[in-house]
Amino acid sequence: MNNTKYNGTAIALHWLVAVFIVVAFAVGQYMADLELSPWKLKIFAWHKWAGVTIFLLVLYRIYWRLTHPVPALPASMSENMKKGSGVTHLFLYLLMVTIPITGWLHSSAAGVSVVYLNFIPLPNLIDKNKELSDLFKEVHESLNWALLGLVIMHVAATLKHQFMDKDNLLDRMRFSGKCK
Amino acid sequence: MTALYRTTLIGLALLWAQSASAAVLLDKSEIRFICKQMGAPVEGRFKIFDADVVFKPTDLPHSHAKISIALASIDLASDESETEVKGKNWFNVTHFPQAVFQSTSIKALGGENYEVHGHLALKGITQDIVVPMKIHTLSGMQVAEGSYSLMRTVFKIGEGTWADPDTVAEEVVVKFKMILAH
Ligand code: HEM
Ligand code: HEM
Repeated sequence: MNNTKYNGTAIALHWLVAVFIVVAFAVGQYMADLELSPWKLKIFAWHKWAGVTIFLLVLYRIYWRLTHPVPALPASMSENMKKGSGVTHLFLYLLMVTIPITGWLHSSAAGVSVVYLNFIPLPNLIDKNKELSDLFKEVHESLNWALLGLVIMHVAATLKHQFMDKDNLLDRMRFSGKCK
Repeated sequence: MTALYRTTLIGLALLWAQSASAAVLLDKSEIRFICKQMGAPVEGRFKIFDADVVFKPTDLPHSHAKISIALASIDLASDESETEVKGKNWFNVTHFPQAVFQSTSIKALGGENYEVHGHLALKGITQDIVVPMKIHTLSGMQVAEGSYSLMRTVFKIGEGTWADPDTVAEEVVVKFKMILAH
């Protein structure tokens, strides 16, 4: 048993979700300022499909996380650092769940249903209501800025571990990382 | 005696006339629609409309309905889409502020089912249409409900870049519910 590294499933989910989030974020940012056009409606739909995909992957990821032990952090890390890392990860999970849900709420309140991949109709979470639609739009956006901030912190922390602490923390999340 | 008889008759006739021109309770009635964008249903409605309806199941030849919809009162997903849909490519409300349905005849299909034949005038185009309708009574009031599948390009709703039915589907389902008070 190798307890210094996440297993293949966790690593695959981490990177798949990371790539999807970067794409969904960039697409969301791009589309929000577009003038209304068929193109905009298309991109909105694709953004929602990507977002729902992330949501499903994250639900599976959380299930994985709750049913598997995580590798112990390097002994060189202080207790506070470990706590900080745990809290950051917890908030990343929270945002990865609440961002898709607020997007879905925003859509529902706008009276626009979500049909995942133009194939699976999702139920409307709430009735059409313009005020709520605007509110959830704002919340969806704000949570995205929070996510951006946390991800920057998260990546900065990884780089610090890699280049300053030189504890090879990144290897724990790498497919080809050496096992200590 | 005859005087009393006559007054009663006049009174009855007045009552009859009143019940004949049932007033539509506009604030309880609704006109909604569902269109599809990228395969996903999008709901909307018209907040302002006028309805002049006379409906007597026992006297269909004298029953009729005229519904006028103020298109600018549309309630859609966002301010942006409302502005767009009032514009030239869609309803063009500055030139065509209203959609008007005027019935020509009403047929009983048995039970609570009826068929309303009439013309729909929208964006300068008039078409003969047939609208299925159900009538039932709810605490003493008649409720008329039905829906009509409108093909938007027939009325040039969504022109230019919007004509492509892959983004906004051809079919728009218009649903109405009219509450008639006697
Ligand atoms: C983790 C997944 C998601 C991410 C990272 C994400 C990110 C974003 C971002 C960055 C924006 C632009 C905000 C702005 O500047 O206005 C946005 C807008 C939007 N998102 Fe998401 N989103 C996600 C999931 C979803 C889902 C699942 C839905 C719906 C089912 C959704 C629906 C929307 C809509 C409708 C807008 C446009 C807001 C508007 O202008 O009306 N998003 N999203
Ligand atoms: C949207 C982007 C990202 C999100 C949402 C995200 C989220 C997460 C979460 C929630 C964990 C905790 C895993 C767990 O214990 O269950 C994690 C771990 C990790 N992430 Fe990310 N991540 C992202 C991008 C990145 C990037 C770009 C890097 C590399 C530069 C990275 C490197 C790592 C590493 C090394 C770990 C393992 C930390 C440890 O061993 O405790 N992540 N990530």
